[in-house]
Amino acid sequence: MKPPAFDYAAPTQVAEVIDLLTAHADADPRVIAGGQSLVPLMNFRLAQPGILIDLQHVSGLSDIRLTDDELVIGAMVRQSAAEESADVRAAAPLLVEALGYVAHLPIRNSGTIGGSIAHADPSAELPAAVLALDATMTTAGPRGERRIPAAEFFQGPFATALQPDEILTELRIPRRAGAHAFVEFARTHGSFAVVAVAVDIAVDDAGTVTRAAIALSGVGATAIRATATEDALVGTAPDAESIRSAVAATVAVLSPAGDVHGSSETKVDAARAYLRRGIELALDRAANRR
Amino acid sequence: MSSRDIRLTVNGKTVSVSVEPRRLLVDVLREQLGLTGTHVGCEHGVCGTCTVLRDGRSIRSCTTFAVQADGAEIRTVEGLADGPDLHPLQDAFWEKQSLQCGYCTPGMLMRCVEILERDLDPSPESVREQVASNLCRCTGYKNITEAVCAAAETMRASSGAHLGVSS
Amino acid sequence: MTAVERRTPPVRTHKPDRKWVGKSIRRVEDPKFLLGRGGYIGDMTLPGMLHAAVLRSPMPHARIVSIDTSAAETAPGVHAVITGARAAELTDPLPDFGPNPAAHTWRCLALNKVRYVGEGVAVVVADDRYLAEDALALIDVEYEAIPPVVDALDALAADAPLVHDDLGSNCAYERSFDFGDVDGDFARADVVVSDHLRWRRSGGQPLETVGAVADFDHANGSVQIHTNSLSFTSYLFMVAGALKVPTNRLDIVATPAGGSFGTKLFATKPAVIAGMCSRAVGRPVMYLEDRLDNMSNCDHHGSDRHYDVRLAMTREGVFTAIDIDTVDDYGAYIQFGVGHHGNALAQVVGPYTIGSVRYRVRAVLTNKNQQGAYRGFGSEVNNWMLEQLVERAARELGLDPVEIRRRNFIREFPYFIPTGNVYDSGDYDAVLDKTLELGRYEHWRAVQAKAREEGRYIGIGVISAQERSVFSATEFWFWFDEPGAPVTSMPESVTLKVDATGSITATLYSCAFWGNSPETMVAQLVAEEFDCDPHDVSIVYQGSRNGLPATGPGGSRTTVMLAGAVEGASSKIKAKALRAAAHLLEANADDLEWVDGGFQVKGVPEQRKSLGDIAIMLHLFKHSFDEDVESGLEESKVFDHPYTTMPSADRKDLGVFYPFMGHACHIPVVEVDVETGSVIFLDYAAVHDCGTLVNPRSLAGHIQGGTAQGIGTALYEEFVYDAEGQLVTASYLDYPIPTAMEVPELKIGHVETPSPWTPHGIKGGGEGGRMMAPAAINAAVNDALAPLGVRLTELPMTPDRIRAALRAAGHGA
Repeated sequence: MKPPAFDYAAPTQVAEVIDLLTAHADADPRVIAGGQSLVPLMNFRLAQPGILIDLQHVSGLSDIRLTDDELVIGAMVRQSAAEESADVRAAAPLLVEALGYVAHLPIRNSGTIGGSIAHADPSAELPAAVLALDATMTTAGPRGERRIPAAEFFQGPFATALQPDEILTELRIPRRAGAHAFVEFARTHGSFAVVAVAVDIAVDDAGTVTRAAIALSGVGATAIRATATEDALVGTAPDAESIRSAVAATVAVLSPAGDVHGSSETKVDAARAYLRRGIELALDRAANRR
Repeated sequence: MSSRDIRLTVNGKTVSVSVEPRRLLVDVLREQLGLTGTHVGCEHGVCGTCTVLRDGRSIRSCTTFAVQADGAEIRTVEGLADGPDLHPLQDAFWEKQSLQCGYCTPGMLMRCVEILERDLDPSPESVREQVASNLCRCTGYKNITEAVCAAAETMRASSGAHLGVSS
Repeated sequence: MTAVERRTPPVRTHKPDRKWVGKSIRRVEDPKFLLGRGGYIGDMTLPGMLHAAVLRSPMPHARIVSIDTSAAETAPGVHAVITGARAAELTDPLPDFGPNPAAHTWRCLALNKVRYVGEGVAVVVADDRYLAEDALALIDVEYEAIPPVVDALDALAADAPLVHDDLGSNCAYERSFDFGDVDGDFARADVVVSDHLRWRRSGGQPLETVGAVADFDHANGSVQIHTNSLSFTSYLFMVAGALKVPTNRLDIVATPAGGSFGTKLFATKPAVIAGMCSRAVGRPVMYLEDRLDNMSNCDHHGSDRHYDVRLAMTREGVFTAIDIDTVDDYGAYIQFGVGHHGNALAQVVGPYTIGSVRYRVRAVLTNKNQQGAYRGFGSEVNNWMLEQLVERAARELGLDPVEIRRRNFIREFPYFIPTGNVYDSGDYDAVLDKTLELGRYEHWRAVQAKAREEGRYIGIGVISAQERSVFSATEFWFWFDEPGAPVTSMPESVTLKVDATGSITATLYSCAFWGNSPETMVAQLVAEEFDCDPHDVSIVYQGSRNGLPATGPGGSRTTVMLAGAVEGASSKIKAKALRAAAHLLEANADDLEWVDGGFQVKGVPEQRKSLGDIAIMLHLFKHSFDEDVESGLEESKVFDHPYTTMPSADRKDLGVFYPFMGHACHIPVVEVDVETGSVIFLDYAAVHDCGTLVNPRSLAGHIQGGTAQGIGTALYEEFVYDAEGQLVTASYLDYPIPTAMEVPELKIGHVETPSPWTPHGIKGGGEGGRMMAPAAINAAVNDALAPLGVRLTELPMTPDRIRAALRAAGHGA
């Protein structure tokens, strides 16, 4: 399972990357971040780029910055570095918890935050996490910089709002008080999620949910927000019954494709169970903080 | 498609090699550098038999192009023993029979080196969860977890001795 | 069934104080593997070596209309491109022990027709594997699709497309055997429990694939092949035949294998492909499967069975008869015939006094990769089927699962089962008792009851089952009334050499290293004989060409057969050394005894010659001895199966073919998440009886590892072919192998009831973990879900199947 041949460039500036993507537009150019999604595809010969543009030496893509309002993570920050960063833990503990489910540490030591988001695997953890965090993706391209909200970024299986001559440069996550939970159902430890749920909520001192952002992966063409469930929870002090019914509101509209890991019904069952568990866990954590 | 010259520091020795961009790091280590201790299992990043350390962190060398490792410090199983003296992990694996066919062993050892370099006193539960990154088809993992904990104890004792602190 | 007179070998007396057998020494194999110097096949380089890659069929069933290799032939670095048609000129069909090799002909590359997704249609030889794969992409194959047969039951239909036109049917073998008065026993039964069961194929999936490096020497017409498979050296003439070389010009040398679990047993295809390529290009060629090659084209998928079964019993739950009807989906070829069912027949009644057996087997061909050998070789499936029936019987009769087993255990040995095989020794109550204690059975029953009140579903599985060891050649051919080759040799050989300094070297033949511990076993056995340190014994392997006959690992035979060979060679060494010692001490041989590494006069220990003293004399001082004494001190033993008897002509008695019968009890405790169908382990106790243990820690490692594979078989692993014959689980992304988090740390216990008929009373035990775990885990899951009226009868019990069963029983959201 050896990959086919390709040309290779290792630029050091974003502008160079854009130039290369434009200049080689007809040669099926791809950027390579950590390669943990791309290289297996190339070993299977399912991806055969004519030129690989390596991002790992490009300056300005690997910083983590924390301000009063937001956490900014460079696209080339290694997943394990984000997981171990005190700033990320402080500002976006949901992301840290989600990262713990991304494959295994050896993969996370190479894989990058931006790489996973740009790859947009419908079963991946990070797209669900950033959707629940209401993150914004910053892109660079020949037409300048864009800021794309997560809700508009993921467009289909392995398809994003990125144009072929654009790259993701950073992720901006608004800082919000609240509680979180990331839960996942996978066949074996570290394998792809069958269903994953990211929950980011705020609960006031009376136990009323004031904000709810809940995202799922593995149940559709992209990670999705469980807006029906969010709407059912906000403004309420949830109990077991109301959580069950809030969950049912989203589950009722799910029709995931079945595959070797689960039929459509099994995935729906797992989504129902894990939505509930994620919400309960986040509520528990919120209660413990009060 | 043409070859590039890259520099790798492997087990402390810096070498220059000329590689096609598509050559996987595992193949460069095995074939161009003759370090056949690192093995090929699945070639899609799942099994971990190809695990080496890059700049102190474990990676899958079967899903890493050698050109991506240009300038990096690589450690493989061949760098573990100190002459005739086995690394405490190697000795513990031998004592606990943490290998049967030996094929996953080099990658497993390198992963375990990382585990202990991050925390020299991990709980057995933590070790078990961390070694889940590497598949073993022979042992059922129990003896591997035991060996890591035993090696950790040995290494804590000897590092204490080095500092003049009794264990 | 013990009423019939049977001949048995003499009962042996075993050495009372063993020094090395029974000790968990560090393995002698390990240092090279720990240092990364294992010497696996992929590590080999020979000057000028080239690399091969095989083009795999994307079609499950199709005629090959044309293959255009012109672009591939001129691609960079390519030395040769060989299609299946050309391969059929260069090679003959592969060795095939199936029922009708001329009609289900198996070749190294497909000829005229492809029969499964992944079957090889052409091979490229190039400077390296990268370039070889580049060239594969340039080969243009035109296929004409034929409807595939994917379901074994559909394949039996009269109008089903034929996998092999020459066979005229997709049923490669069908026969029904009756042992004892089956109809009578069923007629007299108070209760009959019946079941319909499905065991789907998984596979050993060692982390190292199969490979071979062949070096064809045109100067003398000989070929040397290094490969990580070497077994059945007596049958290597078949490989020579496939390669069209004289048998005495073929040398096969084993390299250590990175795992096998049976799947590298007699793996001839890679060796033949490499040999064919090497001869074609006149240079050494490596053919090493990659993971996609291995998963789709390894020829070693596991059993794939449908069962319709009935168990007859009294109203007290005493079993009297069993009626088994099984359809086994063999895939597109059937290289080992129905040997997998011989493994079942060896222990078909389990540990129970069942008096009669009907066994009907239909071997069906479909458009899938063929079955091979996977740890248990078909007996693990029988264990699972039988224990499912026992569980069902216990529930229907309202009996405790422990009690129903005690009512049926065999307690007198040797015990001949209805098929004619014998169980040499055992103590099934002791194993069960020990497991109940180790597994804290009462404690978990209490926890289970409380958990049920809380709406949690904990289950405890209790199974008792057999693990046969050391197969005989008869199980290849007792299927036929007039077998073409009723072979009776299944030897293992060891040569022991004592050099002039008294150091010992043991030579092993095809007993290749697969992750079992042949070197450690031999070192400990030799140490036991000669009172040396096992780590001082040097172990070497000899290739086939000047090797003694040997069969290699399989059927848990290695340790017993090596023990017999070591014992035999040691005995010859000691006989010669005794005579020499008597001569040197000027004593009577009858007055000497072996003590602590040498011969000495009984009662006069100062009158002594150590083995080293004797050896140097024999090596260098010929004139000190009589005329007929040859210089040196080196002896070999070709040890044949110590206890095999022939089947009766009417096949109502298959004879003894697997006499050294181990036994185990597994008690897993699981919790089923009924919302998702996932299963986790809360506890797991396993007690095995493999007779006398040579290295207890080593056996415990096999139990833990075999159980891990059994967990994979029970819950995770399946080669899934969809309705169009596509292999959906073609990589590790879709074929989930258990990680450390899926495998509990077993509490392992040992019971040792020695065999009366083997050296030291050893029995084989390498397969046992996997032979028990699927049955035990299925029992545990069913125990968990019994209150919900749900019972799983199909493996693997994936979340999908568990949720589907729960939904069908009314447990929807």
